[in-house]
Parts: sequence; C-alpha cells; structure tokens
Amino acid sequence: MISRLEFDPWQLLFPAIGFCLFAAVFICVVIRAGQMRRPSVDHLQNLPLEEESSRADSHVRTK
Amino acid sequence: MNGQKLTIEFNDRIVRLFMIAAIFWGAVGMLAGVFIAAQLNFHFLNFDTSWLTFGRLRPLHTNAVIFAFVGNMMFAGIYHSTQRLVKARLASDFLSNLHFWGWQLIIVAAAITLPLGFTRSKEYAELIWPINIAVAVVWVVFAINFFWTLAIRNEKTLYVAIWFYISTVITVAMLYIVNHLSIPTGLLHSYPVFGGVQDALVQWWYGHNAVAFFLTTPILGIMYYYLPKAAERPVYSYRLSVVHFWSLVFLYIWAGPHHLLHTALPHWLQSLGMLFSLMLWAPSWGGMLNGLLTLRGAWDKLRTDPVLKFFAAGVTFYGMATFEGPLLSIKSVNALSHYTDWTIGHVHGGALGWNGFMAAGLFYWLAPRLWNTKLYSIPAANMHFWLGTFGILLYVAAMWVSGPTQALMLSSTVESGTILKYPNFVETLNAIRPMMLFRVLGGGLFLAGWVVLAWNIWMTIRSGRPSNGVIEVHAEQTAPNLGMVATFVNPPVIYATLVVVFAMTWAFGGDFLSIASLVALVMTCLFAWIHLENSEATWGQWYDKLLANSFPFTVLVVIAVFAGGIVQIVPLVTVDRDSVVEDRIQVPYTPLELAGRDIYVREGCYNCHSQMIRPFVGEVLRYGDYSRLGESVYDHPHQWGSKRTGPDLAREGGRNSNAWHYRHMENPRSTSIGSNMPAYPWLLEHDADTASLPSKIRVQRLLGVPMEDMSPEEIQRRYDEQAASIADELRAADIYVAPEKEVVALIAYLQKLGLSKPVEPAVAQRSASPTP
Repeated sequence: MISRLEFDPWQLLFPAIGFCLFAAVFICVVIRAGQMRRPSVDHLQNLPLEEESSRADSHVRTK
Repeated sequence: MNGQKLTIEFNDRIVRLFMIAAIFWGAVGMLAGVFIAAQLNFHFLNFDTSWLTFGRLRPLHTNAVIFAFVGNMMFAGIYHSTQRLVKARLASDFLSNLHFWGWQLIIVAAAITLPLGFTRSKEYAELIWPINIAVAVVWVVFAINFFWTLAIRNEKTLYVAIWFYISTVITVAMLYIVNHLSIPTGLLHSYPVFGGVQDALVQWWYGHNAVAFFLTTPILGIMYYYLPKAAERPVYSYRLSVVHFWSLVFLYIWAGPHHLLHTALPHWLQSLGMLFSLMLWAPSWGGMLNGLLTLRGAWDKLRTDPVLKFFAAGVTFYGMATFEGPLLSIKSVNALSHYTDWTIGHVHGGALGWNGFMAAGLFYWLAPRLWNTKLYSIPAANMHFWLGTFGILLYVAAMWVSGPTQALMLSSTVESGTILKYPNFVETLNAIRPMMLFRVLGGGLFLAGWVVLAWNIWMTIRSGRPSNGVIEVHAEQTAPNLGMVATFVNPPVIYATLVVVFAMTWAFGGDFLSIASLVALVMTCLFAWIHLENSEATWGQWYDKLLANSFPFTVLVVIAVFAGGIVQIVPLVTVDRDSVVEDRIQVPYTPLELAGRDIYVREGCYNCHSQMIRPFVGEVLRYGDYSRLGESVYDHPHQWGSKRTGPDLAREGGRNSNAWHYRHMENPRSTSIGSNMPAYPWLLEHDADTASLPSKIRVQRLLGVPMEDMSPEEIQRRYDEQAASIADELRAADIYVAPEKEVVALIAYLQKLGLSKPVEPAVAQRSASPTP
C-alpha cells in the first residue's frame, strides 16, 4: 500500500508537459482573439441576429 | 451570378421531427430514472422480473437521456442553427431523413435489447455490437450532411457555434469507435479488445468525453446561437468565445482519468487527469460568464420570457456543474466522493440543469417559429420552470447529503483505525434512505415539469401550421475553398502535427528517440518561426484562412483532441500488460466461471458493485487488501464499476459460502437484512448458456487471455465437473439445484473474485505468452 501512497517526483513530468502545452495554446489563442479586427467581430457576433421570413411547409397538405 | 439574390427555404421539417422525438424520449428517459430511483427505496418495484431490475434499467435510463433525449435535442438545434448561420439549406433531404429515422431505430433497438440483458457493461457504451455499427453509420450520415452543408454555404465566415458542432462531430466519432472496438462471439455478444486497466482507461476517456462532446460542446454551440437570439443582442464577447472554444476543446480530452483516481491506474495518469480537470475551471466559467453577460441589459425580460428564464438557469447550472466537476477531481475530495451519491448529484446537476433546461428553452423558442404561431401558454412554461428548478435543487441537495454521509460512515474506524465503526454495509445504506426518497421526489418534480412542457408544445403545434424559414442571400457571399491538398498541406496544420508527434515521441520514446524528438521539437518550433518571419503572411492570416475553411479547421480540431487522447491511451495500450501487473496476476476463468461472469455482466451488477479496492484504511478493513493492476488484467470488459450502492466485490471469493450466495440471489433480505438489492429468482430456474462457450473462449484467447485451448467437448466436461461440485456443496446445505442452472455459474464466478497468484514483474514478462 505504501508504494501507492508515496510520492514519485517523475510523475510530475507529465502534468508539467501538459500544462506547458495548454499554456502555449491558450496564450496563442488569447493573442489571436485580441487581434481580431472590429468589423470581423461585429459581423460574426451579429450572425445569429439576422432576420428571416417563414413559408408554409409544402410537405403538409392543406384542407 | 454576381449580385444575384437567391431565396433559400430551410429544411425545418427535420428540425420539427428531431424536436418532437427529443420531447418524447426525454419523457421516457426521465420516467425510467424516477422509476429506478424508486427501486432503490422499494426493492419490490423490481417485481422479481428480469427485464425490470435496476441493473438492466439503469443503462436504459442513461442511454435514453444521453443519446435519445439530448441526442435528438442536439440534432434539432444543430440543424436549425447551422442552416441559418451558413445561409444554406441542409445539403440533402435524403440524408437528413436517413439520419432521423436511423437514430430513432437505434433508440428503439436499445430500448429492447438493454432490458433483455444484451449489454457490453461499459457505462454509456452498453449497446451491443450490431447497434454500435448502426450508430457509427448514422453518425457518418450526420457528418456528411453537416459538412456538405458547410461546403455549399453562402456565408464566408464560420460562427463559433459551428466550431463547437464540428468538434462534436469529429470527437464523438473518434471516442465511439475506439471505446467500441470489440470482437464478436455471436450475433448479439462480443468482448471488448481492451481488458483490465486498459479497458478502464479507454472507457473513462470515452465516458468523460461523452459528457464533454455530446452533452456539453453541442449545447454550448446552441447557447452561442439561441441565447443572443432570445435576448435580441449579440454575444457579450465574441473574442472570449474564441478563447472558450480552443481552451475547452484542448483541455477536455485530457481529463478522463479523474474517474479512476486512487484505483490501480498508473499515478502519472491520475495526476494528469486531476490537473487538466482543475484547469477546466477557467474555460468553463469563461463560457458561462459569456453566456450570462449576453443578457446584460435584458435581465428584465426574464420576468416575462420563459425562454430566457430557462437559458439563464441552464447556463448557471452549467457553471455550477463545471465548478463541482473539477472539485470532485481533486484527489483528496475524490477519496470521499467517488463511488457515492455525491457523483450522482453532480451528474444530475449537469444533466437536468444544463441539458434539461437548455432543451426546454430551445423548444419553447423553436416551437412557435416552426409552426408559425405563439407559445400556447406562458404561465404553463413558467410553472414548468419552477417545477424543474425545485426538482433539481431537491435532487442535488439530497445527493450532497447522502454521498458524504455514506462515505464518512464507510470509512469511519475506531480503536486507532483497526476496527470499522460501521462494519455492516447495509447500516450505511439505511442511513441514506431518506435522502434517496427525496431524490425520487426531486426527479418526479422535474418529470412533472417535462410533462407540462410536452402538453404546452403539443397545444402550440395544434394552434399553428408547420412552416419553414426563408432567407434571401447574395450569390457572391460564397465561401472560399482551399481544396483537398491545401486542407492538409498548409503551414499551421503541418507545424501543429509535427509538434504533437515530436512531443509524444519525446515523452514516450526510448533514450535515443526521446533526445532526437526533443531536438526535432525545438527545430520545428524554430523553423515555424523562421518560416513565418520570411513569409509575407502573418499568424493571423494563416489562422483566418483556416477559420474560413471548415476542413482545415476540422483537421486542427482533430489535432487538438488527438493530443490528449494519444498521451493517455497509447502508452497504456501498447505496453506489455503482463509487465505492469504489480505483484499479482489474475488466474484465468474456467468455462463455468466465464459463463457466470457473463451472467454478472448481463444483469448489470456493475451498476451497484465495484471491483476495485482503493488503498485506504476503511476500504482495506472492509473489503480486503487493495486491488492490484494484475488482478483484473484479463477482464474483458473490466468490472471496476463507478458506484457502490452495494459493497465492493473485488475479493468476494471465499468470503461467503455457496449456500449464502444461493440464498442471497433467491432473496437478498434473507441473508442481508435491510438490503435493497433485487431478487434474482430466474437465475434459479434458467439453464446457463453453454453452447456459446467455445466461441467465447476462442475470442478470449484471441485477446491474449491465457485460457487453455479446449475442444467443445472438453469445455463442456470441465463445466459439468465444476458445476456438479458446487451443486453437491449446495445439497449438503439442503439446497437442491440442478448444476446447469445459471445461479451455479454465477456462484462459481463470485467465488473466483480476488483469486490471483503472486508474481514478480520480470517473471510475468517471461510468462506473457498464453499457455499452450
């Protein structure tokens, strides 16, 4: 049981590598997101708000 | 064609179908949940009927809620929002219909096979192999339809919701295929290719990311589209949504091992899982805040608009669940919470609060628009909201009390940690019975709210007529196309791939390979930098070019999720498993024990009993010595379990007599007063399946299990001998049972649990080849 509970320093290597990888990705993405041009951001964030009209489904028979 | 206007009518019929299916299957899944919760309180609700037991119905509940309810809801949201975001009708009506009817057929097949006991026993991956193939085919149909629609789009840019959908399509396919790799032994049965710790790791890599990429990322995409739509204002920060997406996609895939903390899983993987789970706090809360802050200036609408009410509460529950998840991944917290109701409460906070409420908000928003009418009753929607909210709070609060209560009782010791304070497991079970009753009440309230939704939507449908959305687009908005070669051969994809490959070989290669990979890694980064400096392009241009092209973007997503997957899976599945057995190795099953194990799997015993003793004083005192890696190394599939409604069975062999087990199966209350376990009278009546044993043993040997090569006659002879010996022992205790009955095989299996032989790792390596 002791072998399960004792601390193995080498085990820190993998989380450390993982953390460094994530930090690199995170920093790149934050920089890139910060550099996005305002018109591009405005266009993208307004995409869900565009209007549409509606038309009766032609598959449905009318009485 | 330049400047020409096109009128596009969306395929909203398929959205209507998926929405109605989601409402129906949601009710079925929730009803199953309330019923099995009641079974935990009142054992007689199992009705002594095989297809109504908790062990068989619990997979039905989880699969119905995840794949039938959330699956259909997700497809409705994805198909509806994607058409509008890319300004194109779904590429193929045929594929859309095939997707819908194929998915419903799969759900029906699951609803029939699971209660009948056809299962792979891997949580949320229980469906048998023919259905697995059907799922893969239908998912491919969905993927083709989705990506084809992106390819013919009339909007150059891809909104962040589409990114989340892409990550879902790709990652779910990858997870599903890897975790369902099996070798059939017959038309309805198979053994997974992974065994023991490998199977456990692959399973929870899948299980955790099913939550991530089936229950979270598509719903986040839905949040990013419908929340601004309902609030009538853009998302709070589009930039934050970009950071949210990449951080989440990159991080989530690494966190699976937090489901196996303190088990026999190697420690470096446990540490990795814990760390990445903790880092998940940041993107999850970034996303939650982005959602809630989208409501800035619109909070007053919550008083009158049930859609926003559900969305706001749903996003809040997302924040709660994603706070609690990393908390439970901290090893010391997990030591208390794992195997208890605390985890169940956490899961339902997410499933009911996040998925359930987002689904409700989506349907209340969609129904009036899809049928060109008004929502039938806003007061009824409000009533649904409060029924649901009280239901969730009651449920989660009950589990928060129940989980730690039982965990503390189970681990309590006296006499300086040498004696258990509550040696009888049932004592701890009875202590939480009131909480289990509150859970039924909470779940019942949520279900009642869902029934109100179903009625409200039905009345809305009756008051309107089906209609499809129509837009006009300019033809010149056609999306750019990189082409197939440039999709893969472009600087960001090439450099990202090389970095991942060299990082992997650096971490897991041999001495020389590690050094060479490290050098190559540094060189790659350096070369990428020089390339960038000497080209006219900028990182931003590279990035933007990819964002406007769905396929290269998809390749980048694949790289992001592969990185985490490869780090966890590859080292463990490629290692010589006999060399990492610690100091004990499992003794392979005899034909009778294997038959008994398949009955154990069929009845879903893993739903309530774990087979993994953690290295804690309370557990070792209660269940015996802690479990070693080697003790389950030949288990295809593993049976480590994730919840202890009953005690751990890793060392059950020899603990009780054969007669005790027989009486326990016949009526658990006769041996364990106060137990809530169902009775299994059919095991005493039905003959065990011996005809399939030769095929099963052949597959076991194929998978590397060192079982002897036996002819069908030899298998039957050994089976009969061992069964007769158990029947004789039972007869001595005045129990008369024919040796061919299922209960005899199950007793043989239970008595085998924990049997292993001591071994030195070096010796194990030499004896890795199967016995001739």
